[in-house]
Amino acid sequence: MRRSSALALGLVVLGIVFLIIGVLYALGVLQIAVSDPHSPHHYTHLILFTVLAVACFVAANFARPKGGIYATDRPKRL
Amino acid sequence: MTFAQALFMGLLQGASELFPVSSLGHAVLIPSLLHWSFKASDPSFVPFLVLLHLGTATALLIIYRRDWVVVIRGFFTAALRGEIRTDEERLAMLLLVGTIPAAILGVFLENPIKRLFASAYEAAGFLVVNGALMLAFEVLRRRAERRATLEPTSRAEQEEHFAQAERISFRAAALVGACQALAFLPGISRSGVTIGGGLLAGLRHQEAARFSFLLATPVILGAGLVEVPQLFAQGVPVDKYAAGAVLAGIAAYASARFLLRYFRSGRLDPYGWYCICAGLGSLALLHFNL
Repeated sequence: MRRSSALALGLVVLGIVFLIIGVLYALGVLQIAVSDPHSPHHYTHLILFTVLAVACFVAANFARPKGGIYATDRPKRL
Repeated sequence: MTFAQALFMGLLQGASELFPVSSLGHAVLIPSLLHWSFKASDPSFVPFLVLLHLGTATALLIIYRRDWVVVIRGFFTAALRGEIRTDEERLAMLLLVGTIPAAILGVFLENPIKRLFASAYEAAGFLVVNGALMLAFEVLRRRAERRATLEPTSRAEQEEHFAQAERISFRAAALVGACQALAFLPGISRSGVTIGGGLLAGLRHQEAARFSFLLATPVILGAGLVEVPQLFAQGVPVDKYAAGAVLAGIAAYASARFLLRYFRSGRLDPYGWYCICAGLGSLALLHFNL
């Protein structure tokens, strides 16, 4: 995976968006593409969007550039 | 549904869930062919299917208990570190990547598709299509074996030239996972299309089956667990359904053990031919109302 701070930040934002969508489904605010429109809560959607959010956060950690000034493998000063 | 019917359906679902022959197709077809009054597409049938799926998922968890411990540990290690270093960590991430498309398609498409294609005629038709797919997967595999000039060697040696589940690419894992959505069509087998997808991605037969079963576990378990509240609805004969679920678990355990041994050197062809014959036979029986 290509490492970049911008990509990592984008994935974190996307993860937060997924969490918000999941909560909106669970509260019954969102009723898009649901199997039972009469049901007030859609916990299946909450689980799905939570999984998507977790996947985004994991991907963000993979995309985050490793190293930097605090990296343990930086060359020692002679 | 009588007690005997519940046991029969449990046995049928447990066995056919992991064999590449479509459990949903059989669950739709057989009650119709036997002129039983209940239908698998009926909403009142959902609690029963939930328990059967939980039985099957439990069997898979028991078979792969060591793999799951390693996979879960590998997932957290790799996720926190932000880097994959071992095969177990790679497998964990492959399973996550493969599960996501199946989960998205499952949540948004499963019910509309099942509602559209719930009749026994369609299940029989898709069973024929499933058989053709299994045969096509093997034709493509044999072509890959010829390209690698593996023809004269034994089957076990031929299989050695192909990869283990951990070596599949992430793109291929996502595609194999997305293939699971085809199984929402009654008659198309989830394990069949994922094993076939694994073969196309260059896995050994046994490894394709292992990847398919590992991929199926969170999907089957998740689909079952989210429907658990339906079990507490009034009038659900939980004892009868639970007996069916236990039998489904035992059948799934036995069939997974058999398939993992079979795919050391076996191919998908027999299941392909079975599906074509069963589908055509069912179409004839339904057409002549026998």
